[in-house]
Amino acid sequence: MSAAPLIRLSDVHKRYETAGAPTEVLRGIDLDIAHGDFTALQGPSGSGKSTLLHILGLLDRPTSGRYELDGRDVSTLDDDTLSGLRNRTFGFVFQSFHLIPYVTALENVLLPGLYGPQSRRELTARARDILERVGLADRAQFRPGQLSGGQQQRVALARALLNEPSCIFADEPTGQLDSTTSREIMELLARINAQGTTVVMVTHDPQTAAFASSAIHLLDGRIKGDA
Amino acid sequence: MPETLRHLGRALAFAVEAVWAYKLRSVFVASAIALGIAALTIIVTSVDGAQRRALEIVDTFGPDAVFILGGDIMSRAPGRRTMTLTWDDARAMERSLPGAYLVVPMRARMGLRARSGSRNTDLPALVGSTQGYARAWNWPLSEGRDISEDDVRRGAKVGLIGDSISRELFGDASPLGRVVHVDSLPVRIIGRLSYRGVGGGHGTIDDRMVIPLTTLTQRFNMDRKYFRALRVKFHNPERMAAHVENLRSLLRHRHGLTGDAPDDFTLLTADQILRFIGMLKGSLVAFLGVTATAAMIVGGFVLANLFYISVSERTEEIGLRKALGATSWQITAQFLFEAALLTTAGALAGMALGMGMGQLLSRLGVLEILFSGKVFLLALGSALAIGLLFGLRPARRAALLDPVAALRGEGG
Repeated sequence: MSAAPLIRLSDVHKRYETAGAPTEVLRGIDLDIAHGDFTALQGPSGSGKSTLLHILGLLDRPTSGRYELDGRDVSTLDDDTLSGLRNRTFGFVFQSFHLIPYVTALENVLLPGLYGPQSRRELTARARDILERVGLADRAQFRPGQLSGGQQQRVALARALLNEPSCIFADEPTGQLDSTTSREIMELLARINAQGTTVVMVTHDPQTAAFASSAIHLLDGRIKGDA
Repeated sequence: MPETLRHLGRALAFAVEAVWAYKLRSVFVASAIALGIAALTIIVTSVDGAQRRALEIVDTFGPDAVFILGGDIMSRAPGRRTMTLTWDDARAMERSLPGAYLVVPMRARMGLRARSGSRNTDLPALVGSTQGYARAWNWPLSEGRDISEDDVRRGAKVGLIGDSISRELFGDASPLGRVVHVDSLPVRIIGRLSYRGVGGGHGTIDDRMVIPLTTLTQRFNMDRKYFRALRVKFHNPERMAAHVENLRSLLRHRHGLTGDAPDDFTLLTADQILRFIGMLKGSLVAFLGVTATAAMIVGGFVLANLFYISVSERTEEIGLRKALGATSWQITAQFLFEAALLTTAGALAGMALGMGMGQLLSRLGVLEILFSGKVFLLALGSALAIGLLFGLRPARRAALLDPVAALRGEGG
C-alpha cells in the first residue's frame, strides 16, 4: 500500500449561484480517505454530504480547493480525462439503482467495461463471475423491471465491481430497500471492503452506517469531527 | 486506431439497443424520413423516366430529319394561314436542296371511324402521305409493303394500318388484303406498321392508318394543292444546322418572304424537341424538387424534435453512462448512430414506398419511371445527411449534460 492516501481533499469549497444568492454548500473540507477504508458520510439533509460524495467521486468539481488521487492532483483535468479516471478507478452505487431499463442485468453489469479498453469476451466472463458472487447467476438475462429492488441493487453493485475499482461510492445504497434486504446489501458491501476495495458511503440510517469502520459527520458544509 | 474503432462499434451497439427499446419513437422518426425519401424517389425515377422517354422520342423522330409544319406554330396569329406548303415546294426540295434524299408530305383527317365486317373502332388519325412514309419515319413494316409512287399517282384505295388498329379489327390475324371502311371509303390493307408504343398522351401513334395523299384529298374533298406537313431526311446528320438553314432560305424564297417578314412555316428537328423536353424536365425537377426538399426538412425537424424529447426522457441514462466513464464523444456517437439508423431505416422504407407509388403512377400512365442505383445512393445519402445534421444538436446536448444533475433527473 502506498504512503499517500487514496484521496486527499484540502480546503475544498463548493458554492452554487441560485437566483442571485450564492449558497455555500461545502466550506473548507480537509479529508483523507485511506486505501481499504469503509467510511460513512453522515449528516442531516442539506449538510452537503451528497455534494461531498459527488466531488469525491469526480462527478462534480469543487469551486476551490485541491483534490489528490493517489498523490496526483486531478483538480485541473478536463471532463473526458475525468471520465476515464472514474471508469478505471471508481464504482458507483445509487439510491435509485440507475439501471438501464431496456437491457438485461448482464448488459447493465457490462456497461462500465464497455467504456473501457477490454474485449467484450473478457468482460462478459468477469460479469458472469461477479453476478455469481452477488447471487444473481440465474438472473443474468432478466431486465431490471423483472427484478426485485434488492436484486436490482445487487446488479448495481456487480456493475460497480466490474472494472475492479479502487473505491466504491455508494449514495444511500439502502434508501429504497426494506431492512432485511438492506442487511443483505450491506453484508455484501462489507465483504467487498474486506477483500480490499475502499468504500465511501452516504447514509442517514444508523444501522447501515454501523457497517462502516469510520464515520464523517457533516454539518453546514463542515466536518464536525473525525471518528 | 483499433481502440477508437472498438468504441465506435460499441456506440453503434448501444444505439441499436436504444432504437429497438424505443420502438414508437423509432417508427415515428423513420416514417417522417420515409415520406421525404418516397417523394425524392419518385422525383428521381420520374425525371430519369422522362429523360429516357425523351431519348426514345428523339430516336423515333430521327436525328437526320426535319419536320416542317405549315404556319408559324410558335406565334400563331389569328387568321394566319397554316396551309402554306405545296407540292411544288416538295418537288423543289427534292430537286435542289443539298443533302436531302427523301421528302414526304402529309395531311391528316382526325376523329374518323374504321370498320371491318362487324367490328369497328375509333380511328384518331387518317394520314395521307406518299411513297416512302415508313422510311421517312424510320418505322419498319411488320408485314406487307409501303405505299408506292403508282398508288399515289392513281389515288389508289390502299393503305397501311397501325398495329393497335389492326389488333382492334383483326385480332392476331394478318390484315393484309383485307378491306377496312374508313367512314364510307373502302381501303385495302397493303402493309402493317410495326408496334411503336411511344407518342404518349391519349391515342397512341399506333392508332392510325396511312393512305396515299391523293386518295385522302380526293375522297374527303380536301384542298389538293396544299398539305399540312413535310418530312425531309438528309444525308450527313452532323451537318443538320446547315441543312436547316438551307431549307429555311429555300422556303422563304419560294414563298416570297423577304427582309424581316416572319416565316410562314415551322421547322422542327430532334434537337429542338430535346430542348423543349429539357424545359419540361426542368420544371418537373424544380416543382418536385421543392416538394421533396420541404418533405425532407419536415422529416428532419420531426427527427430533431423527437430526439430532444428523447434526450430529456433519457437524462438519467445519459448521466449514468457519463458517471460510469463515457466520454462526451462516445455519447455523441451513440446518439448520432441512433439518428443514422433511424434515417437509414426510413430511407429504405421510403424507397420501397416511392417505388411502389412510382409503379402505380406508371401503370396509370401518369408518369414514366426509371429505377437506378443512383436513386438508391441519393436516398441513402440524403437520409444520412438529414440524420446527422438534425441529430447533431440533440446529441451534443446529451453529451454535455452534467452527470450529477442528470442523475437527479434534472437538466432535461
